[in-house]
Amino acid sequence: MTAAATPVSRYLAPLLLGVSAALAAGNWYVQPDRARSWAAALLFLACLAVVSWFTLRRWSSAAASRDMAGYIRNGVVFGALMMAVPLSVKLAHALGAIDDAELSQRLTMVILGAFFVSTGNAIPKMLTPLSVMRCDGARMQAVQRFTGWSWVLTGLAYAIAWLALPVDLAEPVSVATLLGGTVVVAMQMVRVHRRRREA
Amino acid sequence: MNRVFKALSDPTRRRVLQLLRERPMTAGELSDHFDVSKPTMSAHFSVLQEAGLIEAEKSGRSIVYRLKMSVLEEALLGFAQTFGWEMKAIEASRPTGSRGSRQRPLKGEA
Repeated sequence: MTAAATPVSRYLAPLLLGVSAALAAGNWYVQPDRARSWAAALLFLACLAVVSWFTLRRWSSAAASRDMAGYIRNGVVFGALMMAVPLSVKLAHALGAIDDAELSQRLTMVILGAFFVSTGNAIPKMLTPLSVMRCDGARMQAVQRFTGWSWVLTGLAYAIAWLALPVDLAEPVSVATLLGGTVVVAMQMVRVHRRRREA
Repeated sequence: MNRVFKALSDPTRRRVLQLLRERPMTAGELSDHFDVSKPTMSAHFSVLQEAGLIEAEKSGRSIVYRLKMSVLEEALLGFAQTFGWEMKAIEASRPTGSRGSRQRPLKGEA
């Protein structure tokens, strides 16, 4: 339920990165005319693998930062998933297995929505020790809960928009949803900051 | 996940979570709201801690508990509260003597 390191996410991240790289190579082989796109995808995956390997090697060693390593690992899983899904759909489309050209975009956006949901879900769990907190613990907790709920609902609306609406409509609706969620969270932050200054 | 369900299945633990929604509280402040012994309350706190729903932090001589629930866990809590969700099957399988503390009313609700 949390983003803490689990054996599944530990193996899922490198597995998805490997699968994505294989799919990019497959796409390159089937559609050599778009070599630049596939090379860019492979470069992105290589960067993701190198950065996550260095970060996780450093952070997994200290007990205090194991939770943070879990969050990074989950981020890598979502990043790799966002590459793997459109690459597999593109490959299937090139091979004639799938007819729907919009499917790749839709699925990518649904995964992005799921990422917002997952991030928002974990926000109330990220606690700062009370001893180092500069503001009221109750207020901080309220802000974290509000932000978490807002972000989860934004992510759900974003994913549902891409699942249910036509692509032409899903684009503006999802962007408006994302902006709306960001504005609501920002307004709450400003309100809390003002109250803190008044106190 | 099982630990979360187990933690949410008890009305006393759900009430503790509800109280912690308002603000972080010390063990004493929380215990004042219930008509149960301190060891029973400690057992409830440790179940909640094991499930990762609350976090304890030492502040001077007292322990401050605060909420550590994800959005999904909070939604589950709301669900459990709305439908009075209890692990009746587990309760029924327990010997009669071990069910005592759960049946006691909360302060002000008797």
